[in-house]
This record gives sequence, structure tokens and C-alpha cells, in this order.
Amino acid sequence: MRARGLACLLIAVLVLGFQLAPGHAQAPRTITLTAWTVGPDEPSRPRFTNLLLAADRLNADLAREGAAFRIRVEGSFDTTTWDAYLRRVLLAFESKKGPDIVQASAVLSVTWAAAGFLAPMDEFVPKHKQFADVVPSLWQSVRYQGKTWGVPQDVEARPLYFNKTLLKRLGWDDGTIATLPDRIRRGEFTWDDMLAVAQEAVTKKIVEPGKGYYLRPRVGPDFNMWYRAFGGRDSDPDTGKLVFNRDAALRYYTWLRRAVDVGVLEKDRMDGSWPRFHQTITDGKVLFFSGGSWNWAEWASQYLTAKGGERWLFENFDYALQPPTRRGGKPITLSNPQAYMIAAYSPNKELAARLIAYASVPDIYLRHAVASARPSILRSPIPFKDTDPYGAFVQDVSYMLVFTSFQPPHPELPKWQESFFRGVSAVISGELTPDRAVAVVAAELQRLLKDQVIIE
Amino acid sequence: MRGVVPFVLPATLLIAVFFLAPAVLTVYLSMTDLSVVTFRNPGWSGLENYRDLLQDAFLGRIFVNTIFYVVLTLVLFNVGMALVVAILTSLVPHRWGDLFRALWLLPRMTPVVAYAFIWQGLMREAPFGLLSNITGISQHWINAAPWATVIAANGMIGASFGMLIFTSAIRSIPNELFYASAVDGASTWQSIRRVVLPMLRWPILFVTAYQTLSLLTSFEYILLLTGGGPGFYKTTVWSLYAYLLAFGSYFGNVQFGLGAAMAAVLVVIGTVMAVIYLRVFNFRALVAKPKIEVV
Repeated sequence: MRARGLACLLIAVLVLGFQLAPGHAQAPRTITLTAWTVGPDEPSRPRFTNLLLAADRLNADLAREGAAFRIRVEGSFDTTTWDAYLRRVLLAFESKKGPDIVQASAVLSVTWAAAGFLAPMDEFVPKHKQFADVVPSLWQSVRYQGKTWGVPQDVEARPLYFNKTLLKRLGWDDGTIATLPDRIRRGEFTWDDMLAVAQEAVTKKIVEPGKGYYLRPRVGPDFNMWYRAFGGRDSDPDTGKLVFNRDAALRYYTWLRRAVDVGVLEKDRMDGSWPRFHQTITDGKVLFFSGGSWNWAEWASQYLTAKGGERWLFENFDYALQPPTRRGGKPITLSNPQAYMIAAYSPNKELAARLIAYASVPDIYLRHAVASARPSILRSPIPFKDTDPYGAFVQDVSYMLVFTSFQPPHPELPKWQESFFRGVSAVISGELTPDRAVAVVAAELQRLLKDQVIIE
Repeated sequence: MRGVVPFVLPATLLIAVFFLAPAVLTVYLSMTDLSVVTFRNPGWSGLENYRDLLQDAFLGRIFVNTIFYVVLTLVLFNVGMALVVAILTSLVPHRWGDLFRALWLLPRMTPVVAYAFIWQGLMREAPFGLLSNITGISQHWINAAPWATVIAANGMIGASFGMLIFTSAIRSIPNELFYASAVDGASTWQSIRRVVLPMLRWPILFVTAYQTLSLLTSFEYILLLTGGGPGFYKTTVWSLYAYLLAFGSYFGNVQFGLGAAMAAVLVVIGTVMAVIYLRVFNFRALVAKPKIEVV
């Protein structure tokens, strides 16, 4: 018994002596930063892995600075659905046991800021030179009530794609097809022209009924874009209130109804199924389809690997802006930038901001760009190599950002979007006429948003 | 009376904690404006959420969908098919009947998500979908027949519950009654009609009432198979609508208060339905002491 006691004492003395010995460097403590990120598209995984890379560089700098700590990044990249992800984030915010960094649509920073979930970034942004490289206009997407609530993470364009092979079968020659993006850019090819071409393709059995035009199968920011393309405004700059313009909504709903009636658009298009959307398009069965620039990477890496990936895409698809509604009109696209945001409860806000800064540099962003085909958020050129996938595509679609617009920054925007989408869904499925849908949506918006919406 | 309390207390506590408290909490939440923006500081809104619901232009459609879904699933599967399967498997030797019922129970033991994936696989376009391959008609069968799909998918599982209850009830019918009916020259159908069905009145009441309440609140198969669509609320039922309002928005636009109001209405509907069933089936008579005691 006494021997065991002596042994314990000896070990304790040795350990203590080792710790106190001169020259013995104390191991730096580790601070864990948790980051939750989402695709849900798989190619967007660098939204998380870029933070891991940034952490390595930050740790190297911390070592050089002689800091007494290092960081470790934990977290997740969610590939389920936005619904599930946002629900998880909301509950984490409320329990204050969630991540330090959250990535989500920049427009959500407004809602979450209004709810008190986020830390303002204004204090941190000027401290890190990397943030000065972010395209200035993108900061608008994370500003609300004079403060900055996040850091832009990426940006995208939402093109109108078209199937060149099907157009050729319809009798279009290569030259005419190649000039279509420019014609749309100059306002010479409108939504009605597209409808006429698609109708012809259906009539001549080049495409199956309903596959002349595909649009996303569920609610999303794109509907703001199309509503704007048809002349609508969703925000009043003077009051900051949301706006519902009956005439523009009616024009869009009427166009959709006409597309269904002439067999260009499926009556059950709003079926919520992304796999069905992507599969049918990459089977080469759809003539025109509105999507996102990141879809290019999804199609190449998930749906077309057996057919040649991006090579097949270049051979069969092309892309343009979303057309105007009248000749000479301005085409548009919409960007829904993603942003990194810092939770209000995070004890390591400054460190989290520094980590995000380290991830906001060209060579790290490159990894995201080549994985998910997204244009850059940085003013410095992205160092694409010729062998990088999607480099040519990303550079091709970058001009679209000149035509882009963002969603209106309003905490109740989701209600506007859900209501507008209900109208779309009702019209496409034939449940309501366009007139009736406009009336119903207007009444619902008035009821839900009260004085926060202008119905005009 | 005092001696009864220890026996009643555990059950009373369980009911209070797991049934009464959630119902009270739901009603309380339904009178707040709890949403994403007000998550930290929800305000008292009284009956405003209920007023909102009454003004919802689509609520009538949701209500009709709910009735359609509950009645059809109940009649065709949860009670109808359950009864047919229970009777048919009771007519064959026990060994085969037991085996058949065990197989029928497999989907109930399968996780809901896996079960829904199987259905999705069955219903896809050719060359992926089994149904498309078998029929030679390549279409997305869930979109083509969404109600048939969700009712069948749910009903095939729901029927197994009634099947077990009815089978055990049939087995508990004294053999003497079957002998007597045989002696009287009754056919199989007449024995079922005059002996089995009258003896199943109580189990049918139980299964009908239980499954009605269960179907009113069940939406997981619909959520996984159609998401409430395709298109405009095609297969959206009351409980799914409440879930989507409270939890299921693409933009994180959760409206807990409004969703809770819908759930509270569902509690009332369920209670009313239960009372109606008890009256229709004359519950008091069913649980009355037998006039003749067989020892």
C-alpha cells in the first residue's frame, strides 16, 4: 500500500517537474468553431471544406504570431433540403447551443437579424483586408437597418438554358442557335417568342407535351425574378415595404396559363421533385429550362458522368439571360448570394470573422467555383487553370451579373414569396384563373403582411 | 374512494403529461404570434390566428382533401381491407393464415422513409419505375394518380392494424356459434354476415375511431410521396398544412402560431368525431355488463 502511494507521488512530481521545466512550451489550447453549411446541391460542399482550409492557414498565422491558442473547425454540410436545414438552424439559434458560423441565403440575414439571432459584422469587416476584395454591390445583400449582418460567400446567375440539339431538329441552324443569347441580351427574343418556338417543338413532336419549358418545381427566389421580368416591383425603395403589383402578376400568371394551355408546360410542373426536373433535362427531353449556374455542375457531376459530363453539356446545351417580355426590353437574371453569418450567442465572434476572412481569398474561392460552377464574389481574378472544370462556363456566364438583381431585404419577404408561389401553383395546375389568382394572392398578402405591403 | 387514487394516479399523470398538456400548450401557442421574427419575444394575439385561418382562401380545399383522404383510406383499407383480410385468413388453416398476416406486417416494420422510397421507385417513369415497365405506360405514376398513391401506400400499412384486431376477435368467437349456424344450413357468407360481423361490432368501432383520429393527424406518407402536391394543394391535408405552416417553409418562414391554431382545430375535430362514433356504435350498450354470465 505504501509502495503504491510512493509511486503515485513520484509520478506526480515528475509530471509537475516536466511542466515547470524551463524551455518546455505549453501546448496551445484549442478553440472549436462550429460551422453549419448547406448546398443542398452536393457540388457546393466547399462552402464547408473551404472553412477547413482557411482554418489551416489561420492556425499557421496564429503560430507565427505566438498565439496561445489554435482553432479547430467542426460542423456540417447539409445536402437534405432548405426546409430541414433552416429548421435546424432556427432551433439552434433559439437554444443558443448551435454553430458559431451559419451559411445561408443572404436575404435570410435580414429575417434573422430582425429576430436578434445574428451578430452585426460592422466591427469586424474593416479589420480584415480580405473583405475589401468582395464585390461592393454584394454587401447590399447582407445589409439591414444600416448594419452588416453577414459576409457574402458566393453568388450565382440564373440563366435560361436551351437544348441546342432539339433546336437543330426543329430546323434551326448553328449560326441562329449561337446568336440566341445575344438576341436575348439585346431584347430581340421575348418570352412570347420562346413560347412560340416551344409550341412549335411540341406540335412537331420534337419534344413531348409539357416539355417545351421547365421551371423549378417548387417555391424559390426565381419567382421574384420572373415577376420582375414581367414588369413587377417587389419592394418600395422609399418606405422599404414589400410591393405586389397586380398587373405584373397577372401578366406572368397569364403567360404561365397560356404555356400550359398550348402544351408547352406540364400541368403538374410544381410537383416539388428536383430529381425529376434534373433527370428529364439531362435526358435531353426539354427544350427551354430556367435554372441556376450551379445546375451546370450538378448535371455534369451527378447526371451526365456516363455521357461525358461537361463536354456533353457544351455539345447539347447553351445559356442566356431570362428574356424580356417585350421587344427591346431589358433581360434579367437574379442572384441569391449566400453568406456566412455569425450567431449572436457565439463567444468567438472575432475569431469566426477572421476565419471567414481567410476563406474569402481567390485561391480558396477557386475550389468552390470549380466545384459548383459559381461566378466569383471577389474583384481579384480567380486563378482558373485550363484544366479546371466549369472555368469556361463560369467566365461565360459572368456577364450576366451585370444584369442581376437581388431579393428585397425585408424580414417578412418569405411570406410574400410563399403567397406569390401559391398563385403560380394554382394557375399552372388550373385550380384558379390568372385573374382569380391575382385577387386571392393580393388578399392573402394584405392579410398576412398588413401595413408591410403595398398592393398596387 | 381513497383506495382508488393509487390505482388511477399513474394513468392520470400520464394522460395529463402526454395528452392534456400538449393540447393546452397547442391552444396557448395558437394565441400567440410566434414565428421566426418573434421567436424570442412572441406576443399575445388572442384569436387573430383563428381569424386568419377563416380568411384563408385555400382552407376549404384543404378541409375537403382531409375528409376525402380519411374516408377513403378508412373505408377501403384501414377497416375494409383489414376486415376482408382478417376473414379470409381465418378461413384458411391457421398456419397459412398466420404466415400471410406476418408478411402483411412487414411494411409496418419498415421505416417510413424507406417505405416511401420503395413506392417512389415503383412509380417512376421507365426505365426506372417498375409500374411503368410492367404496364408499358411510362409516366410518373405519383403525379398521374397522387391520391391513389398516397391512399394505397398508407392504407396497405394501416390495414394491418385492423387485420390483427379483427383476426383475434374472430378467433375469440365461440366455435359453438359456427357449429350451430352450420347445423342450420348457413353458407360461409351467411355465417360471416350473421355470426362474425355482429360479433365484430366492438372491434370495428375501436378500429374505426382509432384510425380516424390517426388518419386525421397522419401526413408523413403524403409529405414523403407528394409533398402535398403535385401542383396546387392536390394532396395537402389539414395536418400537413399545419406542419408546413409551422415548420416546413423553403425560406424558413415558420409560423408556429398559425400552425398551432390549425392543430388546435384538429384536436376539436378529433374530439367531435370520437363522440359521434361512440354514439353511432352505442358505446354504452357495448360496454354494459352482460345480462347472462357464462361460467
